[in-house]
Amino acid sequence: MADEPHLDAPCLQRFLDHVEGGRGGTVAAFRPISGGYSRLSALATVRWADGQEESFVLRSDPPPDTGVFVSDRDAEWRLLRAISGKLPVHTPTARWYDATGEYFGAKCLIVDFFQGRPLSDIAQSPDEVPRAARIFVDTLSEVHRTPLDVLPPELERAAGWESYIEGLVEYLGRLDSVVADSNPALHYAAAELQAHRPPPAPLGFVHGDAQPANILVPDEGPVLMIDWEFGRIGDPREDLGYYSHLPVPPNLFQADPHGFLARYRERTGLSEEQVNVDTVSYFYVLGMARLLGQMFEAADALAQGRSRGVMATYMMNGTSATTRAFVEVARRLAS
Amino acid sequence: MLSRPTTEQILLDCCRELMTVVLPTLTDETAQVSVIMVETVLRNTAVRAAHEVAWMREETAEIEGYAQAVAGQAPGAESLGTALKALADAPRDSLHLDDVVETYCRAGNALSVALETAVAGRLTDLVRRGEEILDVRASHETEVMAGWSPTGR
Repeated sequence: MADEPHLDAPCLQRFLDHVEGGRGGTVAAFRPISGGYSRLSALATVRWADGQEESFVLRSDPPPDTGVFVSDRDAEWRLLRAISGKLPVHTPTARWYDATGEYFGAKCLIVDFFQGRPLSDIAQSPDEVPRAARIFVDTLSEVHRTPLDVLPPELERAAGWESYIEGLVEYLGRLDSVVADSNPALHYAAAELQAHRPPPAPLGFVHGDAQPANILVPDEGPVLMIDWEFGRIGDPREDLGYYSHLPVPPNLFQADPHGFLARYRERTGLSEEQVNVDTVSYFYVLGMARLLGQMFEAADALAQGRSRGVMATYMMNGTSATTRAFVEVARRLAS
Repeated sequence: MLSRPTTEQILLDCCRELMTVVLPTLTDETAQVSVIMVETVLRNTAVRAAHEVAWMREETAEIEGYAQAVAGQAPGAESLGTALKALADAPRDSLHLDDVVETYCRAGNALSVALETAVAGRLTDLVRRGEEILDVRASHETEVMAGWSPTGR
């Protein structure tokens, strides 16, 4: 693997010459996609020797020891391949993978480009918020209704709901165990979550980064859900909780929490006892735990003398905002 | 040493320079986002520089009293005793930032253990008092955030 990632046209050209040498592809256009918190992304158009053109999205790891949020490209690639065509919701078509970083300097996966507007863009128009909320709820419900037997066997499966939640709460309470600074708000929240369990719900397929920006809406036809790097088998309410506090306006849950949850219950068959504002808050804490842990670790790296870039210190604000929200949830549980 | 302008004033002046002189000249979107983030971090840092020593010392005193109160009602909590002993042994007389931070970190650990102990033992009044201490900590963090809001998606 090269020292630095090179997500650019010449690297893609060399890669295509290797994986599709017989098709005579030429990179006709290439531009980085900015805006994500974690991965390096780019959009490329390739003209094949037979005159056909195709567009692709490239997703690569950032340089090592930079940034805040990390995920496993190998796992994402395996999951993308395994779920392709098997979920009730459409997912990106996986095309090629530079698994060693030989061509791009970092692991890089390439999927078909999908022509659609991010749901988050559609939701920017106030008139469209109700429709966007319906699309979001329906898409999420479809993900959660995925039969578990279509998922790859290597996805971790808990023995049951109780042990799964027990593990998540324990994980929450240990988030700061590998960093120098204990976070009392976290320990308080974990203690209250341990003491006040919600009613169980069937474990299902969880997206892990469920937000409107990860749903692409075409002019016609079904939507496509992207960014499956955190896909796992878990409690579906983790996705609801994760999104419920996402500070990217307009938040389609916060716009009408009761309407949002009523539609979700209708689509999934879960009860009001299982899915309500309180249980969503509970799972907000659990759904955010992994990202919060990564924010802790990035800030701690700097405290140990290893810079992870400005994002690490910038996101300390996110840590403060998140732990404050955790305390509010814990306090409500206790009351 | 030169004490005026204060550290806070110097950092805020750097923010002004970044936003009014540097940022308008940038055309690269990634560089623009970086500068905006750096400016935010500098504003965060300015607030910290102005208040962090006082805040940490005030909170430490409050936390120690609280943790001792919890230990008094949960005498079997060994980990709390250990955390309190570590706090007592901290370099608490020094005002050098590293020492204040070290003491505050030990206080934070004591508070974590005390809160867990209070919740597990259903010590309702002490849970409430612990929440108040967390509120103070959160209010300081909010001030440090200096109006932060997330960018990107």
